[in-house]
Amino acid sequence: MSESAHHFQTSTNIENRKFAMWVLIASECFLFGTLIANYLINKGRSIAGPTPQDVYEIDITTLSTFDLLMSSVAMVLALHYCKEKDLRKFQFWTFMVVLGGLIFLGFQYHEFSTFVLKEGLGLSTNIFASSFYLLTGCHGAHVTVGVLWMSSILVTSLIKGKEWFNSDIVEVAGLYWHFVDVVWIIIFTVVYLFVYV
Amino acid sequence: MAKNLPKTGLISWLTTVDHKRIGIMYALGSLFFLIVGGIDAILMRTQLMVPNSTFLSGETYNGLVTMHGTTMIFLVIMPLSAAFFNYLVPLQIGAPDVAFPRLNALSFWIWLFGSLLLNTSYLVQQVPSVGWFAYANLTQKQFNPTHSVDFWILGVQVVGLASLIASINFFVTIVNMRAKGMTLLKMPLFVWTTLVTQVLLFLSLPVITVALVMISFDRTFGTGFFNPGLGGQVVMWQHLFWIFGHPEVYILILPAMGIVSEILATFARKPLFGYTVMVYSSCAIGFLGFAVWAHHMFTTGLGPWATALFSAATMLIAVPTGVKIFNWISTLWGGQIRFTTASLFAISFVAMFTFGGLSGIMHSSPVIDTQHQASYFVVAHFHYVLYGGAVMGLFGGIYYWFPKVTGRMMNEFIGKTQFWLYMIGFNLTFFPMHFLGLEGMPRRIYTYAGDQNWNFWNLCATLGAYITAVGGALFFINMLYSMIWGAKASADPWDGRTLEWSIASPPPEYNFAKLPEVSQLDDWWYKKYTHDGKRLTPPQQPVVDISSIHLPNQSFWPIFLAGGITMIATGFVVSANGVMISLIGVALTVASTYGWAYEEP
Amino acid sequence: MQQPAFDESSYKLFDVSWDAPMDTISGLTEWSRDINSVYAITTVITIFVFFAVAIPLIWTLVKFKSKGDEQTPPKQFHGNTTLEILWTVIPVVLLLFIAVPTWRILFKHAHTPEGAMQVDVIGHQWWWEFRYPQNGNIITANELHLPENTPVVFRVWSADVIHGFWVPKFGGKMDANPTAMEEDGITPKRWSVLNIVTPSVADANKKGGEMYQGQCTQLCGPSHALMRFNTVVHSKDEFESWAKTANTPPAVETTLAKAGEQVFARCQACHAITGTPSEQIPGPKIGPNLTNFGNRKYLGAGTRLNTMENLAAWLRDPASIKQGSLMPNLGLTEEEIQQVSSYVRLSTTKTY
Repeated sequence: MSESAHHFQTSTNIENRKFAMWVLIASECFLFGTLIANYLINKGRSIAGPTPQDVYEIDITTLSTFDLLMSSVAMVLALHYCKEKDLRKFQFWTFMVVLGGLIFLGFQYHEFSTFVLKEGLGLSTNIFASSFYLLTGCHGAHVTVGVLWMSSILVTSLIKGKEWFNSDIVEVAGLYWHFVDVVWIIIFTVVYLFVYV
Repeated sequence: MAKNLPKTGLISWLTTVDHKRIGIMYALGSLFFLIVGGIDAILMRTQLMVPNSTFLSGETYNGLVTMHGTTMIFLVIMPLSAAFFNYLVPLQIGAPDVAFPRLNALSFWIWLFGSLLLNTSYLVQQVPSVGWFAYANLTQKQFNPTHSVDFWILGVQVVGLASLIASINFFVTIVNMRAKGMTLLKMPLFVWTTLVTQVLLFLSLPVITVALVMISFDRTFGTGFFNPGLGGQVVMWQHLFWIFGHPEVYILILPAMGIVSEILATFARKPLFGYTVMVYSSCAIGFLGFAVWAHHMFTTGLGPWATALFSAATMLIAVPTGVKIFNWISTLWGGQIRFTTASLFAISFVAMFTFGGLSGIMHSSPVIDTQHQASYFVVAHFHYVLYGGAVMGLFGGIYYWFPKVTGRMMNEFIGKTQFWLYMIGFNLTFFPMHFLGLEGMPRRIYTYAGDQNWNFWNLCATLGAYITAVGGALFFINMLYSMIWGAKASADPWDGRTLEWSIASPPPEYNFAKLPEVSQLDDWWYKKYTHDGKRLTPPQQPVVDISSIHLPNQSFWPIFLAGGITMIATGFVVSANGVMISLIGVALTVASTYGWAYEEP
Repeated sequence: MQQPAFDESSYKLFDVSWDAPMDTISGLTEWSRDINSVYAITTVITIFVFFAVAIPLIWTLVKFKSKGDEQTPPKQFHGNTTLEILWTVIPVVLLLFIAVPTWRILFKHAHTPEGAMQVDVIGHQWWWEFRYPQNGNIITANELHLPENTPVVFRVWSADVIHGFWVPKFGGKMDANPTAMEEDGITPKRWSVLNIVTPSVADANKKGGEMYQGQCTQLCGPSHALMRFNTVVHSKDEFESWAKTANTPPAVETTLAKAGEQVFARCQACHAITGTPSEQIPGPKIGPNLTNFGNRKYLGAGTRLNTMENLAAWLRDPASIKQGSLMPNLGLTEEEIQQVSSYVRLSTTKTY
């Protein structure tokens, strides 16, 4: 993903790709904002069940939230060791980010399959289900992209070894990863916890 | 694979990452679709020329209504504006290229493929016929069982993705790639309106993206987001669409406002009057643009409080817009106005846009709007703003920058003939529509009875459309004629004020041999004249060894990636093997992304 | 084969009067007069602004036209704060003159007066259904009958896609949005409300009331243009007698009509007629109620005059007049067409 002249002195002194990621994040805020608003509007409008109260397993979701938060910590450490040029530790923590992401996706797979198979809550069962899957599915897709991105970074660094310390790229990927985590915290609060309010 | 690709010929265009070439391709593409959308309009006007006509059927007419709106907005005004962003923004801010040259190429190819996907609907005769804002629940499978609506959804989705990528690219370019000394308030106004446009784009496009995914789900997977029988709400679509759709209106008009500001200043030979206020009012228009979406929904039954609030916000927009109009007039005041085709178009922009703005003020009052909404009065209003406004401004821009792009002047005689045909034709078409609206003619009806007192004005409108079509034909003749036989243009044929005029026409691939340094607004002007009007000798571009300038490499990946993304979308509009096509698209997308990532730029 | 949608009526190329059947400026009701009062203020203000822009613009263009021989460029001035503040403040003041009456009238008409007569307006692809829950549950189609000088509250919704309910001479329009239905399939869960007070009938001696035209304003499919309706305002007495006959079963007298009654059995899944077996079929009807159809002036949702010829043309092939019509071509023979036409048209109890 290296793009644009490296040595170009930007007007803001912020590297172009990092800046672009911030802009993308602004855009993504509106994307998730729309999805969350849509969920809140529609969750109580179902003609038939099941309802949110019927299906959510708050303990399991808490666990997966914790997992995703920890992967953000791993991301911070990966970037730190990238800047420190400590190859082994960088690779280890990058691996932990990927692992954290994969575990989260595993939880989501478990959640979706339980909903569909046990609770009979398919995508088009009712409008709560449609809005729920649209929102969390979109987030899951973002995590998947993040996992692919971080594992590509890991593989690249494994192949290229010591020459490859591209902290710009890792920082940009990190921004993305933290954003995806923050969005999940909001989704967790609004979707899973507000059921009990 | 990107090394040593040819610098001329077809391959060079397919692999180019040069913002100027991409700009030219955007312009040619959008002008092609201008012809397509224009033919739609001519067919519709022919049908409506006389009452009770059977030239077109209702379904065909609805298809033309939909495609005319969608084409003119997403395939003409937006990409033609993008052509100007591409060609001019780097030149006006003194940059070697945009921040992400390959992403820029990607945006173009996605846009082109998305446009072609949308227009394939003509070939398979499943033309979307639900109007350009595609109100739910007419878009549900129950009411539109063929793939027509899918073509619209996916065409807009893909074209929207192109705009999203481009908006991020241009936002970063403008903020980050400015020449030394060019602080934000020393940027040309066109760069400012471009900047505001990009913000509107990357904040509003996600909303329509979600809405389009929602109808796709309704149609493909049987969800009920817009199906009242399943708990959905049709008004939800209107909210989501207009939260995008109203900023979109400013996305269409702001670039033209910037272009007109540049042209008026150049041809009055004076700085733009009230530059700072113009910047703030552009920002204010952009900001307020997000707070007024429900004024498209005054007849939906929102209740008096919501209606009152949205009408107040809408009226507020008139203030920064009014400021702009008076500032443009003041820019001309005290100048030495040269009437070229470019300046005529720019001046007509001010007049026509004012006119459209005034009928807009009428609609900002929801009580009046309940009578005008969905009538021909509204059709007249938005054509004055978007056609008399945006399109006239863009035509002015083409006449103004054509010498910079091609190195040849456009023919002024043909140009002025086109201008007057346009002015007469345009006003003959759209001014009577105000009367039609007041006499109760609803928009989007394919025929009407002869006893409605609408006959004369409809006849006028159709004749006007034919006159405009002649003007349009002259424009294309002029382009071709001038490209071949036009007078050679100097580097600065109009005595311009901004940096693009400081380099050769057409500019070299690397733009600036030495990146410029800027100390004030209209810096290039003050390199030519002192503050009290004495002539100076402007500095020449230094002669440099071209091989010493690093240019980004050409790349095949943007076109491949765009192809992959479009194939994913195509899977949704074919009846057989859709999943297969989408999966091949996914594979191509992933492969191209990796190819891109590991390619030396 | 597509046919012209409307009767070929007297074609006048240009009529200088503004008196179009659907003009927005006649101002017959209080609602439309109030709209016009704001419109008048706004028009004056916009005309003022138009000249405030046009005169300086044209004057500037004439006065500062380049002579072509200027040696030095003009004075390079960048702005004038006083002027710019001036043309920021003046529009705000002008807008207040529009905003305040707008909001006053907006809230005034949002309120439904006590004792208003309720009429339900339901949009269908491509015709209008009108129900009168307070007047003996009359159900009729495409012809809205109202008593004069009466506050009416329209409850507006749609049975399929969005339509727009608009009688321009009565004032602003209201969208008919599709809604979820209660268990019975007939009662809506949500609707929009439009309040008007009906105008007076100018000539009290004229039979049959005053007719005002309306039309759908939201694109709703191929025959959106053919979704018109008529609103008939009667004196109060005449409305009473209309309401009585509107629920009277047909008087089948001739043999032709009796045969038609048999043919109509094929129509009654979609069309109801009061006092006939068609009412026994449960569920909502997807076609217009045809009780006393012969009293209606138009057929096909205000497209053609209600004559035997036009009805026969319609029955031969509905889709040739109205593209996409949900009424199928029933393949009736010419004889059956004559029979069923005389049943639905001629067995009507005349109101006036």
